[in-house]
Amino acid sequence: MTNRSLLSFVQYGVLSVAAFLSVFPFFWMVVGATNTSADIIKGKATFGSNLWTNIVNLNAQVDLPRVLFNSFYIAIISTILTLVVASAAGYGFEIFRSKARERLFGGLLLMLSIPFAALMVPLFIMFANAGLINTYSAIIAPSVANIFVIFYFRQATKAFPHELRDAAKIDGLKEYQIFARVYFPVMRSTYAAATIIVFMLNWNNYLWPLIVLQTNEMKTMVLTISSLASAYTPDFGVVMVATILTTLPTLIIFFLLQRLFVQGMLGSVK
Amino acid sequence: MTNTALLKRATTLGLGASLLAMTSAFAGDLNVWAWDPNFNGAAMNKAAEIYKADHPEFNLTFNAFSREEVEQKLQTQLASGTIDGLPDIVLIEDYSAQKFLLSFPGAFEPLTNAFDYTQFADYKVALATVGSETYSVPFDSGVTGWFYRSDILGEAGYSAADLENITWDRFIEIAKDVAAKTGKPMLSLDINDPGMFVILLQSTGHWFFDENGELDIVGNEAFKAALADYTEILQAKEIYKPVSGWAEYTGAFTGGDVAAALTGVWITGTIKAADMPGQWAVAPIPRVDGVEGATNASNLGGSSWYLLTSSQNKDEAKAFFNDVWASNIDFYQDILVGQGAVGSLLASREGAAYQSNDDYFGGQAVWQDFSNWLGQIPGVDYGIFTYEVRSAIATQLPALADGADLDEAIEKIEAEARVLTQ
Repeated sequence: MTNRSLLSFVQYGVLSVAAFLSVFPFFWMVVGATNTSADIIKGKATFGSNLWTNIVNLNAQVDLPRVLFNSFYIAIISTILTLVVASAAGYGFEIFRSKARERLFGGLLLMLSIPFAALMVPLFIMFANAGLINTYSAIIAPSVANIFVIFYFRQATKAFPHELRDAAKIDGLKEYQIFARVYFPVMRSTYAAATIIVFMLNWNNYLWPLIVLQTNEMKTMVLTISSLASAYTPDFGVVMVATILTTLPTLIIFFLLQRLFVQGMLGSVK
Repeated sequence: MTNTALLKRATTLGLGASLLAMTSAFAGDLNVWAWDPNFNGAAMNKAAEIYKADHPEFNLTFNAFSREEVEQKLQTQLASGTIDGLPDIVLIEDYSAQKFLLSFPGAFEPLTNAFDYTQFADYKVALATVGSETYSVPFDSGVTGWFYRSDILGEAGYSAADLENITWDRFIEIAKDVAAKTGKPMLSLDINDPGMFVILLQSTGHWFFDENGELDIVGNEAFKAALADYTEILQAKEIYKPVSGWAEYTGAFTGGDVAAALTGVWITGTIKAADMPGQWAVAPIPRVDGVEGATNASNLGGSSWYLLTSSQNKDEAKAFFNDVWASNIDFYQDILVGQGAVGSLLASREGAAYQSNDDYFGGQAVWQDFSNWLGQIPGVDYGIFTYEVRSAIATQLPALADGADLDEAIEKIEAEARVLTQ
């Protein structure tokens, strides 16, 4: 064997192990959804015939359409609002110069280090006073001004050519028009990448919805899985079906926006 | 689609959704938070159904969260001091009862005058009592049993009578003998979960705390004796299969890898799900030797219902609890058969289901046995910090299994528990 083929043998070997490790949990979830709870505990790693029963059982225990609607509604509305607010903020922070700018931005970044658990009780009091406990707004509102996404948009905006804005100004566009007609199309792939990140964050959000949602009919998929899995005798087949249903939307969005996502990660403007 | 049309659609969708959100919690409805809809939920809904027959306007909604989630929600909300969105009734695990009752005085409705508590198992009443007030509606008991495979132990030459009224030393002898003869370890054991040690300790009538709620670990003879017995089990590696996590723990006995499970009665559902009728039986748990007052009965887990002071429907809730939970013996037969839930109302053992023989357990009158043991469980004060001390114990268990000095380990447990409970 030549050195070269030995090298590629090692490379493929390492990659295969890495691929197996990252794909196996997914495989296990799909296989588990087709097996009975007892088979899953025994570690059966082949497809079974229990998929339909698991789906029927899940549907009997959970109001699936309602729970899926809750999850989608919260995730979609939060994603749209977050993108609008965070991209405008990122644009503003980068384009407009002022003395306070960096201090304000530094202050925002510092806030990232406050753990959510410390904010939970005051936040709960705020929302209770506003009469918003157990509503969608209570989940959506605190997620909109996402500091990380603002930071991400600001970084991406650094590559946005100021000449474009100057030219648009000369053509008589107002600031909001520049933002909507010039900035937005140019930064398309940044938006795509942010969509995936923000959608996933909101779709998988657990702690705050747990605290602020009080009834079965308001629960999201993630909360539902958690209560299914915590039974004295959990039906793991049902849990696996629910997990697949919860994984699918983020997976689909990722595949749809994959090309743009990779571009967005590399920087929108070349 | 134009932007305006899109906006209109989004607004309509938003309004529709907020309307849907407003359908929750009308006055007169009792809202319940608890875990496990198939166990606690089914029992609560059954009770509601019985009460509803005479009170058609009565309505109860069961909201399912996990046990940790119920505690976290309750804690956040009570700490925030707002009552908006709190349920009327909440299920709290017995180990956490004192923590909630003492941390949030006034949050839970005292029920001392609403019930005749003498009808419930003593230890269940004791754990929900602060000063002269009792707060709980005692629900499921975690009375423990030694669930064993009668076929495997029979093959090794042991009958039910050989397992009665024995000590842990004898248990280890039997387990070693069974392992040698049949190749099956007696138990599955998760070394990170001190649940089994907790069973041993409560059977002695002692706990981690003295009467004043102070740590009582170093110098607690019962604690030392229980830990010594448990260490012997951990060191006899042939008698247990080490597992990690709940699924593996239950998988070991439902899959036939081990011969027994020594745990709370609520495991019955899991054991029956394994579908091995006639191959199982239940014996009382062994006794810790050398401790005065030690019994062959103990408890693991279990929980009780609590009524929140903020509820708008307290009188209705009390009437409901009194009518069903504190007196309806038939109801307790229903949830025993349906969910395998062993309640704490002592009179329920007179009912037909409790009297019956269970074919799954080879015709043994298991429910009579469990209710007899239930009456013998020594009451202990779980205090505020049971879970903190449990985690301090868990840290030392691997070292003990490897032969660490017992007294030193106990000192380390106390030192760590002191830090955790500050």
